[in-house]
Amino acid sequence: MITFFLVLLQSGNEYNGGAVVAMVGKDCVAIASDKRFGLELLTLATDFEKIFKMNDKCYIGLAGLATDVQTLSEELKLKCDLYKLREEREITPKKFAHLVSSTLYDHRWGPYFCEPCIAGLDENNKPFICSTDLIGCINFAKDFVVCGTTARELYGICESFWEPDLGPEELFEVISQSLLNAFDRDSKSGWGAVVHIITPEKIITRHLKTRQD
Amino acid sequence: MINLDFLNPAENNNVLEQEEANEYMENLSVPTFEIPLVHNPVEFLKHQTHAAEQCRLSIVHGTTTLAFKFKHGVIVCVDSRATSGTYIASQTVKKVIEINPYLLGTMAGGAADCSYWERELGRRCRLYELRNKERISVAAASKLLCNMVYAYKGMGLSMGTMVCGWDKKGPGLYYVDNDGTRLEGDLFSVGSGSTFAYGILDSGFKYDMTPEEAYDLGRRAIYHATFRDSASGGIVSCYHVKQDGWTLISRTNVKELHYKYQDEPKAPLV
Amino acid sequence: MSDRYSFSLTTFSPSGKLVQIEYALNAVKQGVTSIGIKATNGVVIATEKKSPSTLVDETTVEKISLITNDIGIVYSGMGPDARVLVGKARKAAQKYKRIYNENPPVNMLVKDVALIMQEYTQSGGVRPFGVSLLIAGYDSNGPSLYQVDPSGSYWPWKATAIGKNMISAKTFLEKRYTESLELEDAVHTAILTLKEGYEGQMTENTVEIGICQMEEIVDTRGNTVTVPRFNKLTPSEVKDYLANIA
Repeated sequence: MITFFLVLLQSGNEYNGGAVVAMVGKDCVAIASDKRFGLELLTLATDFEKIFKMNDKCYIGLAGLATDVQTLSEELKLKCDLYKLREEREITPKKFAHLVSSTLYDHRWGPYFCEPCIAGLDENNKPFICSTDLIGCINFAKDFVVCGTTARELYGICESFWEPDLGPEELFEVISQSLLNAFDRDSKSGWGAVVHIITPEKIITRHLKTRQD
Repeated sequence: MINLDFLNPAENNNVLEQEEANEYMENLSVPTFEIPLVHNPVEFLKHQTHAAEQCRLSIVHGTTTLAFKFKHGVIVCVDSRATSGTYIASQTVKKVIEINPYLLGTMAGGAADCSYWERELGRRCRLYELRNKERISVAAASKLLCNMVYAYKGMGLSMGTMVCGWDKKGPGLYYVDNDGTRLEGDLFSVGSGSTFAYGILDSGFKYDMTPEEAYDLGRRAIYHATFRDSASGGIVSCYHVKQDGWTLISRTNVKELHYKYQDEPKAPLV
Repeated sequence: MSDRYSFSLTTFSPSGKLVQIEYALNAVKQGVTSIGIKATNGVVIATEKKSPSTLVDETTVEKISLITNDIGIVYSGMGPDARVLVGKARKAAQKYKRIYNENPPVNMLVKDVALIMQEYTQSGGVRPFGVSLLIAGYDSNGPSLYQVDPSGSYWPWKATAIGKNMISAKTFLEKRYTESLELEDAVHTAILTLKEGYEGQMTENTVEIGICQMEEIVDTRGNTVTVPRFNKLTPSEVKDYLANIA
């Protein structure tokens, strides 16, 4: 048991594997993730949700230890729902990012092994993305954010695929190709992917066919 | 090791014989590597060979390989993924080593160890052939390999291989690993994905299969292992060893296999 | 001590009233008048600042307090009680900011303050606050003005008054208020309303005014941005307004 926890502490983020990426487009944002759930090398499921809807214009993707992904997503959804009841309005992505940050820092000495990526449109439909580390240090970005065991591969590929002012369909193509080609180089991610494109009018959700190894 | 004391050149006056003897030594002695010049190299190397050590030289990579004997010979199937940590270093590794037209070796563990020692095995098998005017048996070939790696036992070699071929006795299949284990058998699977492959093989194996059925069983077993085991994947290679030597049957991308199998009706359980 | 009296002092009378709250409202009614007016482009709150003696250094007395950069509070009633509430309101605002990295919107702060005041009508060993508050601020919904009473009830207002002359002041405001009122006129109206019930000479040292409106500032990156700000008028600014009226 002690060994198990030590393994968690050393590599909680690498125990289950996963890849999440978010990108800014022109008047839209996209967030995508793989679907694998595994225990180290063993793949257990290929329909595991890592992206969660907080409201119509704010999504969060969580990569890391699966149990913490589920617990944290539920805690954050609770906080968003209570916010909506209290303030009679939806939380903006920027405020949500700070809510995530302070929630994570509340567990500074016993953290959730999760790296969040947040994507959304603010009250003026301006795109917003950011990511944080597992204890809540926010990284604001104007182009793309990545997290999970595939982070390094994603950084490289997004750096060359992404460009400014992509429309929703172009953005879909770029984020999909980036994610697919990145996790094809990571043994702990893949087995299907899901992409959400958030536009002021609607949310486009697509499930991608990928290699299954 | 082979005792070559009787060839001591000091006692031999024939120059020609001496050269022959030297050549013989060079060709058949166990290749020598620089090993630590200490009383007990195994103990000395523990810090990089022992599993619990922090600075262990980790060259093990995940794999799924399998081989089985059946009515029409031996089937060998392997995946093609090489990983370093979680990073996929290559999806196109050749994990079947073609030792000679009648012998195949599979590769699991350290890629360098496997390919080096199996190449060395190929060289020795050829020498045997030249010297004895007949092909080496699978049993003898696997024994050569086994003896070579046994000389370095405990010093960190990483190799799990199956030597497959055809000789006077018919199809041959041996499992050899870096511990010096050498087993004869009808069905083996080696690597991190082996358990998944065994599951498919054991439930689908019939001695009387047609070659086509056997190829499909082997490919399926590797495919299912690549699905469950993160460290296996890429391309499934399938070889068939027959009386007149081995042939490459197919190289199929796992992606194609997945969508092919997905559309098939599920096989009945019994 | 706290064991013996850990029941609420605010208990129902047989007729269903909470007399403690009514007494608290009486305390408010004895307090000096405070005015609040919401204009199209801002809010103003104003109050008298009477000293019991000419010997008091009135420059140190403050009745209008900033809660955040864009929210201010003025009270009528018991000064010490108001100071406790200001402290609690500031703490609530900072708590909100710690979580969301943004100042609370006015309605959220009002809810927090009202919640605290309600707690003091139901908790053991405490009495209700002897103050009514006017909370003025500016957020993404524009300017807003709220009143919070000792019971914890609160209302948004276009213009209102609390304290000693609240009834006559409200009547005055009803006559003067228009929907298209601008902030400058609202400040004038606030001063005139205060003047209605004012005993003695009104000077820049005996009236306190706070206004909240959009302002241009230079942020930490050197960009000029327009943000809401609550500012108290300096005595010289107040003097100018008084001169314009007279």
